[in-house]
Amino acid sequence: MTATLTEASRESSPGTARPRAKRGRAGTRPRTFYLFVGPWIAGFLLLTVFPLGYAFWMSLTNTDGLSPNWSYVGIDNYVRVFQDQQTIASLGRTMIFMLATVPTGVAAGLAMAVMLNRDFRGRALFRALFYLPAVVPGVAAALTFKIIFDKNAGFANAAIGAAGGEPVSWLADPYVRMVLIFMILWGVGGSMIVSLAALQDVPRELLEAAKVDGAGPVHSFFRITLPLLSPIIFFQVVTGVIGSLQVFVPSLLLAPVNGAAAVTAVPEGNYLFMVHVYAEYFAKSHFGYASALLWVLFIFVLLITAIVFKIGNRAVFYGGVDPSERKD
Amino acid sequence: MTELIARRARVTAFYLCLVILAVIFSGPLGWLILTSLKAPNELSVFPVQLLPSVPQWHNYIDAITFIDFLGYARNSLILSTLSAVLTTISSAWMAYGFARLSAPGKKFWFGLLISTMMMPGIITLIPTYLMFAKAGLVDTYVPWILWGLSGAAFMIFLFRQFFTGIPKELEEAAILDGCGHVRIFWQIFLPQSGPMLAACMVLTFTAAWGDFIAPSLLLSSDRTTLAVAMTAGYVNEKGFPVQNLLAAGSTLFILPVLMMFLFFQRFFVQGFSTSGLK
Repeated sequence: MTATLTEASRESSPGTARPRAKRGRAGTRPRTFYLFVGPWIAGFLLLTVFPLGYAFWMSLTNTDGLSPNWSYVGIDNYVRVFQDQQTIASLGRTMIFMLATVPTGVAAGLAMAVMLNRDFRGRALFRALFYLPAVVPGVAAALTFKIIFDKNAGFANAAIGAAGGEPVSWLADPYVRMVLIFMILWGVGGSMIVSLAALQDVPRELLEAAKVDGAGPVHSFFRITLPLLSPIIFFQVVTGVIGSLQVFVPSLLLAPVNGAAAVTAVPEGNYLFMVHVYAEYFAKSHFGYASALLWVLFIFVLLITAIVFKIGNRAVFYGGVDPSERKD
Repeated sequence: MTELIARRARVTAFYLCLVILAVIFSGPLGWLILTSLKAPNELSVFPVQLLPSVPQWHNYIDAITFIDFLGYARNSLILSTLSAVLTTISSAWMAYGFARLSAPGKKFWFGLLISTMMMPGIITLIPTYLMFAKAGLVDTYVPWILWGLSGAAFMIFLFRQFFTGIPKELEEAAILDGCGHVRIFWQIFLPQSGPMLAACMVLTFTAAWGDFIAPSLLLSSDRTTLAVAMTAGYVNEKGFPVQNLLAAGSTLFILPVLMMFLFFQRFFVQGFSTSGLK
């Protein structure tokens, strides 16, 4: 980080005084900063801190959200989290889902971005076609995949039938988890477009200089492009990992029943951690226990973020600076 | 000569890859449209019929009348526009603070911003819903207004990255002229970020248009959005989905998103990479 200290703090800490990085930056009053950032802080307190606190309070009780007869149960709900077989199984499924979607998604997105970063006829058309599914709303994607993998009217069974096979119940166990993974990977264009934008920021002179020095395209990709892209890849992996922990709407939408009862009809293969949380809240009215599950997930996400950032700080090139040469 | 052949082979292989990928990515929507044009008796035959024998265009009219499609679409439009405009402007506003201003505690708040970006929104959604329910705000748009005004962490982050990339020379002159930060934001930064604003609007609009979980928790069945109504509406009296109407309805539901995307497409790639002084 560059030093952007105000005059006041510079004077109060002469021992750590650093040269002012840029003209015109210092001298801003804190009030101005809080005028700009204030609404976010207020929203954060009201819409994140307060609900989390509310959930934490519920997690210490046996409330069902309606009945006035509830009592504090201490950490019982948290103890139950680690004894509940359904919780552990759903967490395992979520991990497998994450491993099946995040690395493949980021790698495929990057590969497609590299293909589209060349100059060729029809580039804009292919870019649009690859990116299109990523803008299709999740609800429509789920409905589309339900229609494609429908046992009777779906394309998947049409193809199998044409090859002489027997129709498969795609939307039931054990196949439905594959449908979920296909559906998520269908939207890989989102990752592609982010990588493509980053690729276009790679300085052309650098690649040309490497070419002049006799480096092949593969060599300069791994030695120049990839390191420069590492912040954006890292960002995608982190958001992908955390995003896959919260997947539950697609599971709900792929269930054979629609509406409020959907959560009770999610096939086991798609019964991910958040599906379990939702079921505990709204199908079973175990508000206390479900809140404890939310808090466990919250802690889990914080831990993953901390670990990933620790790794990322060592391996990622921010602003083109090699991590081993970074001083702060 | 052999070099020429090798080059031709490479180009052919490259295009072949592209075409296969294109088929994979556009196939599902193609099937959706084919299904939307089928007659009911063409839906459950085995082996499955690929093409409708006669395209049933009236399925689209039936899809609109089968549920109160236009009513739900209006709800979706209001909600998504509200959400997109508020979120975009407020996110840019707050990003300016993070990109260009300093104050004690800035590092702390920025760290917090990054971690909320990482945090599953779904964790807070259910308790937030319970909170809104207790406050009597269920079945109003107030939750979306509050969400909009407080911005979206990811958008703030993107805007902040974008603003950081704007050369300081642009505003230094303005600062020397005694121009305040609010004016610098409105008159220099916002006009500079056209593609970014468009991208943010489109992304938030489509997110709200397609959002299923928040409206299904917060809105009653007649005030709800198209996204929620779609999932439950197209069933016959026996409770089975009416596939062809569902497909037609889904196509119509995707259409505005698709059109926005095609119209703003060029902004998406540019939006993340342009900066001033070019």
